[in-house]
Amino acid sequence: MLLAYKAALASPRVRAAAIESTEFPALADQMEVYAVPRIVVNGVPQWDGAVPERVFLDRVLAPAFE
Amino acid sequence: MVAIFRPEDEERVRELFAALERPVELLVAHGPEETPLPGAAQDVDFGAQTERVVRGLADLSERVTVRVEEKPPSFDRYPAVSVQPEGRDVGIRYYGLPWGYELGSLIGAVLEAGRVESSLRPESLERLAALDRELAIDVFVTPT
Repeated sequence: MLLAYKAALASPRVRAAAIESTEFPALADQMEVYAVPRIVVNGVPQWDGAVPERVFLDRVLAPAFE
Repeated sequence: MVAIFRPEDEERVRELFAALERPVELLVAHGPEETPLPGAAQDVDFGAQTERVVRGLADLSERVTVRVEEKPPSFDRYPAVSVQPEGRDVGIRYYGLPWGYELGSLIGAVLEAGRVESSLRPESLERLAALDRELAIDVFVTPT
């Protein structure tokens, strides 16, 4: 989560939100959240689990979104 | 003062907040709440508890302040917290009651927001600077 927040602080183009799954079950269902953390980018689920900084950026900046 | 930490943890957070280089505002957004899952606490007023936790954090430093708003724009659901360096909305949201492990990430967000310079590596900052579109990152978490 912290990496996402750091990215939001570092760039005006990035927003980052933590969503507590048990309090928003409809949304968690929609995103098929079974394991946390589940990372969703621009509305599309991407991966589960914490990853290091470089990998995090690789995955959120992946060519599929550019 | 609202105590939300054990004394040793509170002291640690106080020390961390003492190093903030600039003020950080915590905006608490209240509004209509969803029904949580069975098994999650049904009789918890999430909005009130969120405000309590956030005020507890703000009590630990003069540089951390709280603002409370009812249904502000640019919030998708409630309750929510926005971490705002010098009162600026930079797109950081915590949706739900920040507790347990996730309270740590909220504190981490305050610490990072209180820094004048990002703690990301230079190559990471370069990559972010080259971004040519909006990026909305949502992380689904649980407090345990």
